Amino acid sequence: MVVGEIPVSADLIVVGGGPGGYTAALRAAELGRDVVLVDRDGTDGVGGVCLHVGCIPSKALIEVAQHMHLSTALSAAGVPAGAERLDMRRWQQWKGDVVDGLTNGVRQLLRHAGVSVISGQARLSRPDQLVVHDPLRPLAPAQYFQFTDLVVATGSRPAALACLPFDGVRILDSTGVLALDHVPASIAVVGAGYIGLELGTALAKLGAQVVIIEQAARVLPGMDEAFARPVQRRLAELGVEVLLGATVLGDDGAAVRVATGSGERVLTVDLVLVAAGRTPNTDDLGLEMAGIALDARGLVPVAADRRASAHIAAIGDIVAGPALAHKASAEAVVAVEALCGRPAAFTPTAIPLVVFSDPEIASAGWSLADARSVGIDAARASVPLAASGRAATMGQRVGTVEIVWDRDGETVIGLHIVGPHASELIAEGVLAIEMAATLDDLADTIHAHPTLAELLGDAARRARSAR
Amino acid sequence: MTELEFTMPDVGEGLHEAEIVEWLVGVGDTVREDQPVVVVQTDKAVVDIPAPADGVVLGHGGAVGDTVLVGSLLFRLGLADASSPTPTVGAAPAPAVAAVAAPVVSQRVPLPRPKASPATRRRALDLGVLLAGVTGTGPGGRITTADVEAAASVPLAAARPVAGTPIAPRPQPVTSDRADTVEPLRGTRRQIARTMTESWTTIPHVTELREIDAVQLVRAQRALRAGAEPLGVRLTFLPLFVAAVVAALREHPNFNASLDMASEQIITRGRCNIGIAMSTDEGLVVPVIHDADQLSLVDIARRLDELTEAARARTLSVADSSHGTFTISNYGSYGTWMGTPIIRPPEAGVAGFGRIRDAVVAVDGQAVVRSMLPIAVSADHRLNDGHHLGAFVSTLAALLADPVLLFAGGQRWS
Repeated sequence: MVVGEIPVSADLIVVGGGPGGYTAALRAAELGRDVVLVDRDGTDGVGGVCLHVGCIPSKALIEVAQHMHLSTALSAAGVPAGAERLDMRRWQQWKGDVVDGLTNGVRQLLRHAGVSVISGQARLSRPDQLVVHDPLRPLAPAQYFQFTDLVVATGSRPAALACLPFDGVRILDSTGVLALDHVPASIAVVGAGYIGLELGTALAKLGAQVVIIEQAARVLPGMDEAFARPVQRRLAELGVEVLLGATVLGDDGAAVRVATGSGERVLTVDLVLVAAGRTPNTDDLGLEMAGIALDARGLVPVAADRRASAHIAAIGDIVAGPALAHKASAEAVVAVEALCGRPAAFTPTAIPLVVFSDPEIASAGWSLADARSVGIDAARASVPLAASGRAATMGQRVGTVEIVWDRDGETVIGLHIVGPHASELIAEGVLAIEMAATLDDLADTIHAHPTLAELLGDAARRARSAR
Repeated sequence: MTELEFTMPDVGEGLHEAEIVEWLVGVGDTVREDQPVVVVQTDKAVVDIPAPADGVVLGHGGAVGDTVLVGSLLFRLGLADASSPTPTVGAAPAPAVAAVAAPVVSQRVPLPRPKASPATRRRALDLGVLLAGVTGTGPGGRITTADVEAAASVPLAAARPVAGTPIAPRPQPVTSDRADTVEPLRGTRRQIARTMTESWTTIPHVTELREIDAVQLVRAQRALRAGAEPLGVRLTFLPLFVAAVVAALREHPNFNASLDMASEQIITRGRCNIGIAMSTDEGLVVPVIHDADQLSLVDIARRLDELTEAARARTLSVADSSHGTFTISNYGSYGTWMGTPIIRPPEAGVAGFGRIRDAVVAVDGQAVVRSMLPIAVSADHRLNDGHHLGAFVSTLAALLADPVLLFAGGQRWS
């Protein structure tokens, strides 16, 4: 430490203003702590990637794309065909209003809770000190904080590919695509994980010629294959070409070269979206100052209460588990309570996973195969979307609701949904799994008619009759 | 790379937690199948936990000193697996930094967890109750908040091994300019503290003290020791104490017993497994001579040697320390004259042997010097009364005063 650096004392510091970080700050303030929240972008950054360039903007795009597409899909019902092209400039304004409104909300919550938000990048200078410098104001002196407790919630960023380095013009990450002011005529999407699929599908519905390139043998690698089939079928209907088992070789500024099983392909496209996973933002935190070593994937090892050491906790994308906003905010509460000396542990029974593909996918808890592989006497039952009157009135046919249960006690341990609004329907399943609900609980709960949610009760009744 | 979440296995009957003693493999290091990854300590033994497969240790589930529940995450293992999904696409992988695995890969939880709602789990955390041991009374075996509260309020002995440990009142620091030293209660010391608390707070002890004329015992031990030497066996007094206790238990099976207050049952043990209290650098351990009633005197001595060595080397297994039915404490070996030994729950008695020393005693109206062995036997007064204890101690005393009776009673030599 340079002579003359006088640290300001801070009770509890949160680094990162995303869903994990701001939740941690609010909970800590609620528990009477004096909280400083450090975000790279200061008060402009609260809400994080999720609110500004991730979940929220992408859903705004998907929603609009779905509406434009439906007006065509429902032409059989007499609906006039919609506008040919989305006015992306106006969409950008609208999206900006949505994001600004939500950011203001978070900002106000923080202000009312008495959380001070400062901008800058933070790293540990000592086990109990944090140095914050603002890269946007390089001449301003760095600030030093002496903290009692620290929550690190720095999130993740899109992983780069060596053969397709981001240039912000032609080779874009998801952030770049969501900032476009026009629908590209053609785009290559590298990676058929959930981000690539969500954006690729939306752009296709908005009229772009989309080709998806995936190294694995199917879309959504890592998810149950039952999910991949209807999505792949739908992509074909939307005219999206999907190259599976394909490897990107490079890009010459006009075309992407791809090695496929049937030889090399040259794809002439306007833009390239690289959606090949995310990298944790842990490179420059100085955690080694506190004796915390990152694991091989760059993640921070933490205990069940999310602490990496007595006074430092880490949450969200920088610790093991799915990189999801709702997981981060759940961890935030646990971490803060642990740092406040309360008994706390992050022990969810199910973390829901939702993909806003077409059809939507939502999954929580055990799959049948995984449950059996660890010795659970599991069984499953499913009902097709076609059984739903409500789905028929929506012009939707493709989908299923699958329930997985443990024969011991007939407890619901998994729910997997493909179909419209799967992302909403999963909530009942997550609650059922967390409450250790039985098939009877779900089957005997009255579901409103006509709704898609009825399918959950139907699936439980089907399971019950198959026992 | 597929990620495997390796959970704390059940390393022994009735044990639902273990303490991390040492990580043998660091995060990021590779392991071979069956290579020990971590050393854990249960209340019975120190156990190496091996890797279930070849791979890379991606994370530790706790730090040294942490307690890990059976079924909760112990370590994460990355399996090099060609068929595993990869989120990365491209000719060359992203340099240096590894991409976060696609969310789906690790979104499921690793174990069949206790069936309890989030509110019930939070209540259990607050009360310090381990859900793994609570029996659920709700539909489908669901653990209710009432079940957790009941488990927290049950006294330890009755709850064992099903309920968790309630949090005890905490000592306040003494104000002084010379600060107290505070260290965490860990390892063997923690196990001793728990067992002793359970014993002292649940078992009404009654202790009988007696001094035994040991002249014949000393003579017999010398002769037997000489006889055992050619067999390569070190025959001390302790094997004779074991044999005498076994013979006395055969005559008084009500001391080779357990009381189960939860079910209001008296269990008389079919086997005769004698625990031997041994002090080690880490603290007290009690390895068990199983089926001591089936062993010859020489075999008892051999087994004692093996267990002593294992205790010293900290290689006692869970099995070595399990299923004791009666305990012997040979505190005379470190100079104690007389003590009041504490029963190891769920046993019904414990015998303590003091140091043999010369004393002036009255024999036939004359003051004479004799070698005297002080013994103390503690019994669970719920199960045995003073006169039962007197009868047991009298039998034991008679056998020790005249060890020939042991062999007359069927004790084999070798």
